[in-house]
Amino acid sequence: MKRYLRLYLCFLRFSFSKAMEFRVDFSFRIIMDIFYYAVNIAVFQVLFLHTDLIAGWTLEQMMIFVSSYLLIDAINMTVFSTNMWWLPMYINRGELDYYLIRPVSPLFFLSLKEFSANSFVNLIIALIFFIYTLVSYSGSFTPLQLLMFIALVLNGALLYFCIQMLMVIPTFWTQSGKGFMDLFYTLGLAIERPDRIFKGWLRVLFTMILPFALIASFPARIFLEGFDWKTFTHLVIVTISTWSVMLFCWRLGLKNYSSASS
Amino acid sequence: MNWFRFVVAAEIRKILAFRADFWITFVGQTAIQVLIARALWGSIFKSTGNEVMEGYTLETMTLYFLIVPIGSKMLAGENIGFLSREIYEGTFSKYLLYPISFFQYKTLTYLTHSFFYGFQLMLVYLSYLLIQFQMITLNDLIHLGTGLSIFFIAAWVYCMLAFCIEMISLWADNIWSLMVMTRFLFFFFGGAFIPVQFFPEWLQKNLTYTPFPYLLNLPARTVMGKTTPDEIMWGLTVLVVWGGIFALMGRLVWSRGQFRYSGVGI
Repeated sequence: MKRYLRLYLCFLRFSFSKAMEFRVDFSFRIIMDIFYYAVNIAVFQVLFLHTDLIAGWTLEQMMIFVSSYLLIDAINMTVFSTNMWWLPMYINRGELDYYLIRPVSPLFFLSLKEFSANSFVNLIIALIFFIYTLVSYSGSFTPLQLLMFIALVLNGALLYFCIQMLMVIPTFWTQSGKGFMDLFYTLGLAIERPDRIFKGWLRVLFTMILPFALIASFPARIFLEGFDWKTFTHLVIVTISTWSVMLFCWRLGLKNYSSASS
Repeated sequence: MNWFRFVVAAEIRKILAFRADFWITFVGQTAIQVLIARALWGSIFKSTGNEVMEGYTLETMTLYFLIVPIGSKMLAGENIGFLSREIYEGTFSKYLLYPISFFQYKTLTYLTHSFFYGFQLMLVYLSYLLIQFQMITLNDLIHLGTGLSIFFIAAWVYCMLAFCIEMISLWADNIWSLMVMTRFLFFFFGGAFIPVQFFPEWLQKNLTYTPFPYLLNLPARTVMGKTTPDEIMWGLTVLVVWGGIFALMGRLVWSRGQFRYSGVGI
């Protein structure tokens, strides 16, 4: 464990020094994420000009939900996203060999190697917005509720990573990750919508099979509407199952890895 | 002019090189975006109790979000980085050696992608009409043809803008984020996330002279048969003027920036 922590600190050092080499890009990326946040907030602000409630939430409650998914997205962009971008290319070019022969878990190495320093700035911005929506919330909440919310938001980030990995892993068979990754980003729209808008089989899809709607919506629900064992158990079971399926598929993918470039 | 045909054929082969990817993207993305949009708007229509909002029923809203995602792809044509990546890697040199204009070559490859997505849009729209058990009338075909033509002109305008921004990479290290930013801006104000008619009055007024509402909202509504000839004429005029401005800007950026190109990749 200590060895892995030391290794991660090395990753951080390298990532920051690399980011500082491309300063213009560094600042552009910060502005880009600010644009992304602004657009997401604006979408709901405009929608609420025409309605008072969406999926049972007021604008104020919706902003807490928005801030939680922006925070989860920022965590993902900072910690995992760059690695997920490169992984299909390593598989396709047969460059995974370098990582498989190292005396560390390939999953650890390949999913955490690149820490996105510029997104780290945005993580701080997302965190400020998250705190702002909580502070300005007119409803009451206990410290325990808040702690639970934060824990569930972090759980959402883990779930997000698992699903993203599940979309990258097919590259071991298809040789190109583009289609699945494009699909992942499209499916990612479901994270940005409250889960209550989904009914029937679409609800089953987004809360059980591809649990995008659980990532931010369930934590926000538990925070805004009070603790509910059913929602909580659902979230925990789905997280454990997705993590297990991801590990199983990863091992299966590695077995299928031919090492030849395509 | 014969090289046009070869460039288009080569580009189509490239698009179809990874067929699994292509079909997953086409069917998957389109279906998911429509389903999510329908779920959201279904919930909004239900909570307001209205059957029509800003001229849209739930059905026409669904159709709008069926057209717009494919229209967005038409607009964005080739992927982000179609120039900057080559400048960055130094492979841009080959265009300087080709006996054809690099502007024409790149515009053609960009618009080939747009044309291809336009074909997808046509297929999806006609399938939608058939699934709805609607007779395909001559009017539907005229609206579809006009809408696709506007989408195609909009794609050219966006291509000219993309040229300007991509060539900034002659000065900056990497401009990928700048392109993504532009996309957010154009797609939001263009009506990709919410139809422009839902924007506050003051914002709609301010957007009249900008290209935003005519890039996605106008052609999508034209395909749906919801625009007047006057609206189309005004939209086309604004688009062509902005396309011209972006093209001139692109030439200017290139005339200054070409001397900075070292031919050495990073």
